[in-house]
Amino acid sequence: MTPVRREKAERLADEELMPWIAEKDPEAFEVFYDRHGGVAYSLAYRILGDRTAAEDCIQEAFISIWRSGARFDPTRGSVRSWTLSVVRNRAIDALRSKAGRAPKLTFDDDAILEARPAEERTEEQAIEHETAGEVRDALTHLPADQSKVIQLAYFGGFSQSEIARMLNLPLGTVKGRMRLGLEKIRGELAEGMA
Amino acid sequence: MNANEHDARLEEAAAFALGALDAERVDDFERHLEGCERCQEELRWLAPAVRTLPEAVAQQAPPPELKKRLMDEVRTDARRERAAEGSGFGEWLRGLRVGGMTWKPLAGLAAAVLIVAAGIGYAVGSGGGSGNTHTWEGEQANGIQASVVREGERGQLHLADVEPLPQGKVLEAWVEREGTVEAVPALFAPDQAGEASTEIEDMKGVSAVMVTKEPAGGSRQPTSEPIVEVPLES
Repeated sequence: MTPVRREKAERLADEELMPWIAEKDPEAFEVFYDRHGGVAYSLAYRILGDRTAAEDCIQEAFISIWRSGARFDPTRGSVRSWTLSVVRNRAIDALRSKAGRAPKLTFDDDAILEARPAEERTEEQAIEHETAGEVRDALTHLPADQSKVIQLAYFGGFSQSEIARMLNLPLGTVKGRMRLGLEKIRGELAEGMA
Repeated sequence: MNANEHDARLEEAAAFALGALDAERVDDFERHLEGCERCQEELRWLAPAVRTLPEAVAQQAPPPELKKRLMDEVRTDARRERAAEGSGFGEWLRGLRVGGMTWKPLAGLAAAVLIVAAGIGYAVGSGGGSGNTHTWEGEQANGIQASVVREGERGQLHLADVEPLPQGKVLEAWVEREGTVEAVPALFAPDQAGEASTEIEDMKGVSAVMVTKEPAGGSRQPTSEPIVEVPLES
C-alpha cells in the first residue's frame, strides 16, 4: 500500500482506516489517535485517577492497537468500542496490579471482539454517536446504590463478589442492583433513540 | 432448568456484560449462553448500555507530549517494518530524511569521488583514478566527515568529528545491497579525537552505507535515525 496522505486519511471512516493501520501507515494511525485518543485518555484517567498512569496506559494500549491493527474485524464491532475495550482492559489490569489484586483481564484483543455478539453492532453504532450525554444523565439519575455497583464493576474492575464484600451486601443484592441499573440505562438509551 | 434457575442466570447476564461475573462462574455462564436464546437476547439488549459507559466519563484533554511520544514510537516502528520488508534502503532513507540529498565529487581522488552533503549536497560529476579503488566522502549535515573507500570487494568506512556516544551506545553501520538492508557485523565507537572506523568485508553490490547509534551489542534492524548516510554511485 502506498502511504495514505493525512488529508485523505481524515476523510476515511474508522473501519476504512484500520487496513491502513494494519499496513503500518503512521498518517492513518495519527488520524485514528486524534479521533479516539481524547475519550480513551479520559477513560484511562477515570479508572486510574492519575495522569501519569493514564498516559502510560494510553501509550501501551495504542501501541498494542498499532501493532495488532490487522486483527481488527470490522464485522464484529465498531473501532471505537474495540479501542475503548482495549484501553479499559489495560487500565483495569494496571489498577489491579497496583492494588495487589490478581490480574483479571486479558490483553488478548481478539478475545474482546470474540466476546461480542455481532448482531449488536448496528444498533450500538447508532447509539454511541449520539448518547454520551444521555448516558451521563442516566448514570446521574440512577439510584445511588445501583450507580455505585455499576461504577465499581466497570471503572473499578471489581467482580460482583468483591463488590458484595466491599459493601457488605449479599451477593444476590449486588447482582440485582447491577441488572436494574443497566436496564435503566438501556431503557433511557432506547427512549433517546425513539 | 426451571424458571427460578433461569432468572438467576439472567441476573448473571448483567455482571457478565460488565465484566464483573466472578471468574469461576464465567465458563459455566458461557456454556449456558450458547444454548439459551433468552440470555443471548438479554446480553444483546444490555450490551449497548455497557459500551457507552466510557463515553459518559468527564472528558480530559490528553497532553500533547503523549501524542508526540506515541507517534515517535509509531514512526520508528513503521521505518523498521519497511527496512525489514526489504523495501529498499532508499525508501527507508527517504522516510528518515528531512530534505533531499544530492552529490558532489571530490576532485583528485583515485576514482569516482563524491562529496556527500546531507540535505544540501549536489552532484557535479566523477573523478578519475586507478580502476580498483573508489572513494566517496563528504560532510554530513551534523558536521561528521564520512568516507567510504572500496578496494576490490572490501571496504573501509571512516568517520571524523563524531561526538562522544552516550553510555551504552555504539555505532553500527548498514549497507544496502540489491534493495535490502544488511548490518555490518563490526560495531565501532569514536576515539577521543572523534574518529571511528569499521571494515565492510563485502562491498559487492553495495549501493549505500549509513550509520546509526544503537544499544551496546548492536541491533538486528536500525532503531534510530542515521547520523551518516553515504550513497555510493559508481
